Amino acid sequence: MAVDEAVFRASIRKKAPPTLRFYGWRVPALSIGYFQDYEKEVDGEACRKFGVDIVRRPTGGKAVLHEQELTYAVIAGADSPLFSPDVLKTYRMISGCIAKGLAEVGIRAEMEPDGRQAPDGTLRSSCFSFPSRYEILVGGRKICGSAQMRSHGVFLQHGSLLMAFDPLRTCAVMLPHRDRERDAGLLRNAVTSVGEQAGPLVDEENLCRVLREGFEQVLGIRFREGPLTPEEEELKGELMTKKYGSEGWNKEGGKSEWISGL
Amino acid sequence: MKSIPDDLLYSREHVWVRVEGDLATIGITDHAQEKLGEILSLDLPGADSYVERDEPFGTIESVKAVIELISPVSGVVIGVNEDITDEIEVINSDPNETGWMIIVDLEDPTELDDLLDARGYHEFLIQEAEVD
Repeated sequence: MAVDEAVFRASIRKKAPPTLRFYGWRVPALSIGYFQDYEKEVDGEACRKFGVDIVRRPTGGKAVLHEQELTYAVIAGADSPLFSPDVLKTYRMISGCIAKGLAEVGIRAEMEPDGRQAPDGTLRSSCFSFPSRYEILVGGRKICGSAQMRSHGVFLQHGSLLMAFDPLRTCAVMLPHRDRERDAGLLRNAVTSVGEQAGPLVDEENLCRVLREGFEQVLGIRFREGPLTPEEEELKGELMTKKYGSEGWNKEGGKSEWISGL
Repeated sequence: MKSIPDDLLYSREHVWVRVEGDLATIGITDHAQEKLGEILSLDLPGADSYVERDEPFGTIESVKAVIELISPVSGVVIGVNEDITDEIEVINSDPNETGWMIIVDLEDPTELDDLLDARGYHEFLIQEAEVD
């Protein structure tokens, strides 16, 4: 999270090129949206029990359990010729890149052009309960959840592409708890994963490669791999200490006293 | 048709400013709310906090994205629209009036010189649409 925002802040200062990142999580983590209510939507006790970290994202949307998944992030100036100042057009373009990559491993992904409301009775605190506009589905079931933030004409979009999906675990770490079997059943019907669609031979490494190629083909560019710049490293450290590593930010979000304007 | 009243100033970050003496009332433009879509949540600074020009003064979440609201001026916040927290839909329905967000005691009124008038903002929107 801190790296995503560090690259985003460096991009605002025009000190980072358009960036694509893929990453995983050393220990499972629950990421929650900027405005989510920690007390009402997160079961902190269950997270502790299962060894799941909790972090609040700078982006919006609902909670994602990062376990058996691949996280991607795209950061670029909205005035970059590759993307668009328009939020939805950017979603559509990035979803197109991801769908292209998935096609390489035999997954026929489609986009949800209109988005859907969460049906009654679904676990609304979960990102995967319902698709937003231009999110990626396979056979009508969500496989990737994405969220975006913008500031100073720069966007950060990150998302979670599921390698496997455990609806019971997802329901266990999110609130409210109701009929967990029923909630899990609804989620199971609404969600699919790379593993389910393409089998166990497609691992995270394969997926990173085909997704990168998907972006390169759709955008007509070649990525160059590189480490964080010294400025991004410094920002990352500051963000980890003051923001993403702090209970204030993770529990209270924008109402906490974290230092903005980095 | 987007509403761009003549009596307001506009930033390139799609924030409007109504100036009365040393006080600046601030909100987001009709264009911004239209681009954002349905607004769901909003974080604003507390009274007496300091906002700085070109730095975020708040955060807004719509169905599409989280957006940092960039302050067009520097100064101390002397008023916050508490009503919009309960009635957030007014930012979509009436962004230029009841959807106002904060009032800032201007630290440096010359900062206003960098803002656009209604005509300039209209032209800026046309240019932005061309890039898009």
